[in-house]
Amino acid sequence: MEDIKAYIESGILELYVMGDVTPDEKLQVEEMAAKHPAIKAELDEIERSMELFAEDMAVEPATHLRNKILNSILTNLGNDSSFASKDEIVKDNVVAIATPKTNIFYKYAFAACLALLLASIVALVSMYNKLQDTNTQLAAMQLDKQHFANQVNLVNGELQVFQDASFKFLKLQGTPHSPSSQLTVAWSPAKKKVWIDMHSIKMAENDHSHQYQLWALVGGKPVDLGVFDKTADTTADMKEMKSIASADAFAVTLEPRGGSASPTMDQMVVIGKF
Amino acid sequence: MSRKRKISLTEDELVLALRNREKIAIEALYDMYSASLYGVISRIITDTATAEDVLQETFVKIWHSFSSYSTEKGRLFTWMVNIARNLAIDKIRSKDFKNQNKNQELENNVTFIDEQRNTVYKPELLGIKELVQTLKPEQKSILELVYFKGYTHVEAADELGIPLGTIKTRLRMAIQQLRKHFN
Repeated sequence: MEDIKAYIESGILELYVMGDVTPDEKLQVEEMAAKHPAIKAELDEIERSMELFAEDMAVEPATHLRNKILNSILTNLGNDSSFASKDEIVKDNVVAIATPKTNIFYKYAFAACLALLLASIVALVSMYNKLQDTNTQLAAMQLDKQHFANQVNLVNGELQVFQDASFKFLKLQGTPHSPSSQLTVAWSPAKKKVWIDMHSIKMAENDHSHQYQLWALVGGKPVDLGVFDKTADTTADMKEMKSIASADAFAVTLEPRGGSASPTMDQMVVIGKF
Repeated sequence: MSRKRKISLTEDELVLALRNREKIAIEALYDMYSASLYGVISRIITDTATAEDVLQETFVKIWHSFSSYSTEKGRLFTWMVNIARNLAIDKIRSKDFKNQNKNQELENNVTFIDEQRNTVYKPELLGIKELVQTLKPEQKSILELVYFKGYTHVEAADELGIPLGTIKTRLRMAIQQLRKHFN
């Protein structure tokens, strides 16, 4: 009994209750307690005291903890049937996202627009070319028309010369200098108009540095009536010269291009008197 | 569930119900012992959130390792309070907890260190009632270190600068005093 008392008083039982013993000591205490009811009783007393002490020192945990802690344990209670309903809840909550319909119409519309644009450009270019052609033709036609109008005017003028009774016709004959030359002059003293007939002209062709000049002799003095050319391609039938009211005679001299102030007498080609 | 309707069972009934893994057992266990266990945990861990986590871990561990408890080895509460104390001490010694404390704001440091060193007087820490008068200061300090701080009696001897034998005697005297007080 002395041993037991000493064992109790050693303080090992208190340390045992505090959990402050080695595994060996723990086994030893448990053995002793099993063997000796006194030790068991002492242990029980110590445990009771500490339990009461802890109760005295108790701190109430926050109220929400109760549910939190109990739930954390109870959800793991190993009853799988409590999860059964969960599988069914996850039913058909996957909703297919409406895939945006790719609208093929716009693709075709775009392609059609492009094709139309190309066709339009081609048509436009060809139209433009045709327009250019037409314009060119039109210009040519106008030129022709102008030409014909001129011709008609000219012919009208010539016709007037022939129809007008006031016109006098004078055939200038070649001088000894050029005996084969001839020129017909039509003159209307009333209208002061002078024409020369280029159609029936018979004179040598002048070169580039010379021109023929028509003169009227008024009271023995020569008056300039303008210059003219005799070339191979002279087309005009009649040519109107400067006007003059009275004249005794007409003569043509070959003068430097542009004409001279007074005639070069030794270059006289034709002459005719009334 | 309202706190007025606390479930209370005798220890034998409770142990039996826990063995049978009945739902009511864990509820009764919580209602009967959560405050006592939280009293111990919250004195070891001052941070409320961490202390609450440890209380949860304690109940989970009690529930899962209940098969390792046997009535012959002692009272249920002794077994449970040892689990709670060990989990709490593991927590404050864990790397996470230490790192977390290292990251304290600078301005909190003074109070934080005070809390850690227990230089601040905490009336709730030991004896709020007449219990205070019944315990001598040296008895209080030994209980505080071993029961609430999780010191081994060897560490406590070192801390208090007294021989091992004296520690054991003082612890025994303190508990004797408690026994007297409760009887």
